[in-house]
Amino acid sequence: MAGKGGATPSTYSPSPTTQKTKSLSFGNDEVLRPDDREWHQCRPAFFQIGVVAAAAGSAYADFGSTKVIVSVFGPRESEKAMMYSDIGRLNCTVSYTTFATPVRGQGLDHKEFSSMLHKALEGAIISETFPKTTVDVFALVLESGGSDLPVVISCASLALADAGIMMYDLVTSVSVSCLGKNLVLDPTLEEESHQDGSLILTCMPSRDEVTQLTITGEWSTPKINEGVKICTDACSKFSQIMKSCLKGLDSALEEEDSNVD
Amino acid sequence: MGEDSEWVSPGEVLGKASKFKAGRGAYVSPDNLTVYASLTGLRRIISPPPDSPDQRPTVEVTGHKAHGAIPEPGSIVIARVTKVMARMASADIMCLGTKSVREKFTGIIRLQDVRATEIDKVDMHMSFHPGDIVRAVVLSLGDARAYYLSTAKNELGVISAQSAAGATMVPISWTEMQCPLTGQIEHRKVAKVGG
Repeated sequence: MAGKGGATPSTYSPSPTTQKTKSLSFGNDEVLRPDDREWHQCRPAFFQIGVVAAAAGSAYADFGSTKVIVSVFGPRESEKAMMYSDIGRLNCTVSYTTFATPVRGQGLDHKEFSSMLHKALEGAIISETFPKTTVDVFALVLESGGSDLPVVISCASLALADAGIMMYDLVTSVSVSCLGKNLVLDPTLEEESHQDGSLILTCMPSRDEVTQLTITGEWSTPKINEGVKICTDACSKFSQIMKSCLKGLDSALEEEDSNVD
Repeated sequence: MGEDSEWVSPGEVLGKASKFKAGRGAYVSPDNLTVYASLTGLRRIISPPPDSPDQRPTVEVTGHKAHGAIPEPGSIVIARVTKVMARMASADIMCLGTKSVREKFTGIIRLQDVRATEIDKVDMHMSFHPGDIVRAVVLSLGDARAYYLSTAKNELGVISAQSAAGATMVPISWTEMQCPLTGQIEHRKVAKVGG
């Protein structure tokens, strides 16, 4: 059983209970994922802009069962306590609704995701265009179905574009999970709970620039290379969907074939 | 002047920097000298004026909503005075040029920026009262708290004020306004409006 844990059983040994899960027999290549996707296939993505009337810009994203809504306010006056700054500030908050997770939660702010969202976006906005002021980004996870942070980041960049904030490029983000010897693109909550490692890549597709890369768990160098390649490919596909959403060409455009192979 | 128009979104390539100049909603990347869009909107190409030395056409992105206006040095603003102190008055900026602001911005008019002449004889309480509507120019981005505003021009200063009796006062000189109900004269730094 321990051999199924991957190339590094010495440090990683999954508990027997997780090994016995019915739907995730990831030692077998023929078995598809719980939602019948291929390993390198994303969930159907749906984006919509202008969903919050009170905000300067807003976007809703729906990746399978992961649903997030992001509102952007500003640019507005920075808080009085802040120091003077020649460039604009970005203020990000990610929070979960109480009903987002299977176990009823507290609906608190997610500090780690907030700072990661800030890091992912700050390189993409042209902050010189709104000196001394602050742009507030509020992300709310309505339903957590796995890959929450990448969906939040992509959705936030769409909301920023909707708000008319100058940006170098749209920011798209995708994660892959390492499940045994397979790399799983856009993992669900179930797959994330079994992962050996995760890689989140955030990039600006038309400029080929990475704004954030987060790797956790055990990864070998070839695996990282493969993971990054899969992610960049998926990112550029997502950016196509996001672009058509912004242009209002087809706001209900659904794309399922982000298949890298 | 727009010759061809096409929807673009942030990050889309608009052309080479050798062929185009970046206008509004566009920027030039120094790495590969390419002009990219930074906003969502319609791409428009504007021909250069025939006598300009730079004969590259300007490419800009317009049409979609841009973010709300923010004050910048030199812009004319309409503000409402909220507090008058001995050395400064604070005011909430309501309009930038002809556009109303979406978010509130605070400005301050310092004693030395009230008028252009005899600035040592200015009395703040003889220049503004809370509730007055003033036209001012943004001097600078100011400090962490507020934008610095100035009314040191003939056409800048109080454009609308209410008297103690509650009526809108009529300007009678560049330092005085009169209440139409009581005839009482109050001191203000009055703006010269119109011809």
